Amino acid sequence: MSETLPATTLDRGALAALRLRLAAPLRARAGEADAPQAPRELLVCAGGACISCHSVAVADALETAVAASRLAGQVRVVRVGCMGLCEAGPLVVVSPDGVYYQKVDGDGARRIVEQHLVGGQVVRELELAAEVPGGERLTGRRVPFFAQQVKIALRNCGVIEPTSLAEYVARDGYLALERVLFELDADAVIDAMKRSGLRGRGGAGFPTGMKWQFVREAPGDEKFIVCNGDEGDPGAFMDRSLLEGDPHSIIEGMAIAGRVVGARQGFVYVRAEYPLAIERLGQALAAARAAGLLGRHILGSGFDFDIEIRIGAGAFVCGEETALLRSIEGKRGTPQPRPPFPAQQGLWGKPTLINNVETWAGVSPIILRGAAWFAAIGTARSKGTKVFALAGAIRNTGLVEVPMGISLRTIVEEIGGGIPGGRAFKAAQSGGPSGGCVPAAAADVPIDYESLQELGSIMGSGGLIILDDRTCMVELARFFVEFLVEESCGKCPPCRIGTRVMLNLLEKITKGEAGPADLDTLESLGRHIQRTSLCGLGQTAPNAVLSTLRHFRTEYDAHVGEGRCPAGQCKALLTYTIAAEPCSGCALCAKACPSGAITGEIKHVHTINQDLCIHCGACLSVCPTDAVQAV
Amino acid sequence: MNARNETVNAERALPARPGEPLDEAAEPTTVELIDAYLRDHPGGGERLIPLLHRAQEHLGYLPFPVIRLIAGRLGLSPVQVFGVVSFYHFFTTVPRGRYQLKVCMGTACFVRHAGAVVEAIHDTIGIGVGEVTADRLFSLEQVRCLGACGLAPAMMINSDVHGHLNRTRVRKLLQGLRAQAKKADAVGADHE
Ligand SMILES: Cc1cc2nc3c(=O)[nH]c(=O)nc-3n(C[C@H](O)[C@H](O)[C@H](O)COP(=O)(O)O)c2cc1C
Repeated sequence: MSETLPATTLDRGALAALRLRLAAPLRARAGEADAPQAPRELLVCAGGACISCHSVAVADALETAVAASRLAGQVRVVRVGCMGLCEAGPLVVVSPDGVYYQKVDGDGARRIVEQHLVGGQVVRELELAAEVPGGERLTGRRVPFFAQQVKIALRNCGVIEPTSLAEYVARDGYLALERVLFELDADAVIDAMKRSGLRGRGGAGFPTGMKWQFVREAPGDEKFIVCNGDEGDPGAFMDRSLLEGDPHSIIEGMAIAGRVVGARQGFVYVRAEYPLAIERLGQALAAARAAGLLGRHILGSGFDFDIEIRIGAGAFVCGEETALLRSIEGKRGTPQPRPPFPAQQGLWGKPTLINNVETWAGVSPIILRGAAWFAAIGTARSKGTKVFALAGAIRNTGLVEVPMGISLRTIVEEIGGGIPGGRAFKAAQSGGPSGGCVPAAAADVPIDYESLQELGSIMGSGGLIILDDRTCMVELARFFVEFLVEESCGKCPPCRIGTRVMLNLLEKITKGEAGPADLDTLESLGRHIQRTSLCGLGQTAPNAVLSTLRHFRTEYDAHVGEGRCPAGQCKALLTYTIAAEPCSGCALCAKACPSGAITGEIKHVHTINQDLCIHCGACLSVCPTDAVQAV
Repeated sequence: MNARNETVNAERALPARPGEPLDEAAEPTTVELIDAYLRDHPGGGERLIPLLHRAQEHLGYLPFPVIRLIAGRLGLSPVQVFGVVSFYHFFTTVPRGRYQLKVCMGTACFVRHAGAVVEAIHDTIGIGVGEVTADRLFSLEQVRCLGACGLAPAMMINSDVHGHLNRTRVRKLLQGLRAQAKKADAVGADHE
């Protein structure tokens, strides 16, 4: 089904013909419909994480093996975008059978071709499977990781070849744009966006339809559309996967908004750390332009629209909208006071509509399937689905799209497969550095914008880091505050100086040098920074501290009152000993010890003199037999 | 922004300056690269960041003569351009190593002990964050998040991501690269 489009522009008839011809096999590929007659294909995940696990070589090995078999020329290898289950990468799917293979290497690739494709036998050892309570063995799309998801933004990720315009079109791509150009008037589109209840997925959750209306109503004959693909939160990779896995969905969403608000130029701001996203988006833009879906007089409608890529340069604060716009203008990315909002005065002082990547990806489905369909998913005030990047102490690291209102417990225990290594689920960190920690005790609360805020965290862009009992919450708060100290742009003093003072206090606590009064100072300082900072960075900077103080106060108290780190992470508070049993007497620890506290004869148990020990942890990290213990 | 790193960088940059006199001109190929970009992309000051990306891609860093050249071409003062360069982490005014180590310090990597990766690198090649080895073979930086959380803890070496790191893997990786560079240099020398 390899499709190369003619170099000429496409008209509506050509788009319709393409959909008619390719839609059914692609639905089969996505597992949305049975189509036994659909062509056999091997889908290889070419998302960022799988590529790092050498999935490109796996795809090549599959092609070689197919070419050498009697199926030569009959089975195509398709390099698709992120399938989500990064932990099990590289992933290979035999379509339309829906058999998933995990951690495939060159040898596995040969076995899939010989045993499954040629021999007709599923390779059980490589098959993705999950045992569920009751002893049933679930495979393929029925494993809980996939079965619990509802894919709207990620509808094409892992299904289509990311830069294939034909495959995107066949998934009803650019159909919503056609409707907006030829059938719907702008107010009807805005009305649909409003009724859908879609809220911005970049963090703040502002109602998208309302923002579009502001920009539409803003006076001015030059306006801009911007896609925020800066994705600065550490632990977040939703936007990256969307840009890499389905770039046309972003382009289409932006073009629709351009028509509705009266803009002719768009910009996608992508961070420099995402070269693959930049490359694929660039290819998709070129293809759309060549097909006449961007540029002048789109599909004969008289509407002109084009998009340029702008590459970030590694500044977290540039995710903030006013800073991002300044960065596009070529300046230092310092935030500006709002109002004026970008909707009134944005790029070069002109009305500018800025939305997040995932927000843009949700636009076309809402127009095609209707506001009511979207609004039926989710909770009272948070509609639709949210993509989360699941990472940290969790079995199934990866990307998941779930309905708003799902519980944290379902995400962690069912989709995520639980905590590895028999450890206990302690908390989930959401919203990146601006967010906070939700304790395990609140795991049954339905997740939406409001509930997370009540718990002292935020939805943020969707990074969800799962923490087990070995994470020290004070140390985690220190990590985030240190991040923000480095990323504060320095423009306003509450953020520039306040975060620095918070960091000093947290360092004192993790070293066991703080007193109870320091906790009160930390808390009141945090509230002060929240109230007085210029932009969202400073206003949310204390969240990590305040939310951990709220839910894990006893852990702070243990550091301050007893000089003890309950999670056993704060080096300065630990007592190091050497256990006789595993110690092999290799003397590596004695060599590493900078204070000469460790003594012992070669091949005999070593000991640590607690009076000389400076708690640096060097012995712990060099010990090859795990004999050094820290409590 | 990033005040600590900036001071470190500035201190490091200073001793390099004497070999890089302020009145020195940029290399002709760099001038041509910059002028070609400006010709192909008519516009104003919004071209600054794309231009800096270009120049750094070409040279590996942004020496002062290039900063001054770009400023002149865009009608900005060198201080304005330097202000932009120092604001963004991605831009550097000091050369980096042949192998650029970028240890991910995203939350997932942090939770899975990325700190030990930095320590292991230090123990193996003796450089800390923001530093370059004397032979300019390796340079070490921390980056925010590589989006490779499934592989945590991870680091990027030039454009390849290496995951599931521990002390031993780090040591082996770096020793492997050192051997590889030696071999490549020996082959190169043979050919000359
Ligand atoms: C410090 C800071 C960082 C931000 N980073 C991002 C980001 O990386 N990506 C993003 O889409 N929005 C980010 N935002 C939110 C944007 O300011 C803005 O709300 C968003 O782009 C609007 O799009 P939306 O309505 O579709 O969410 C950030 C905000 C702040 C205060």
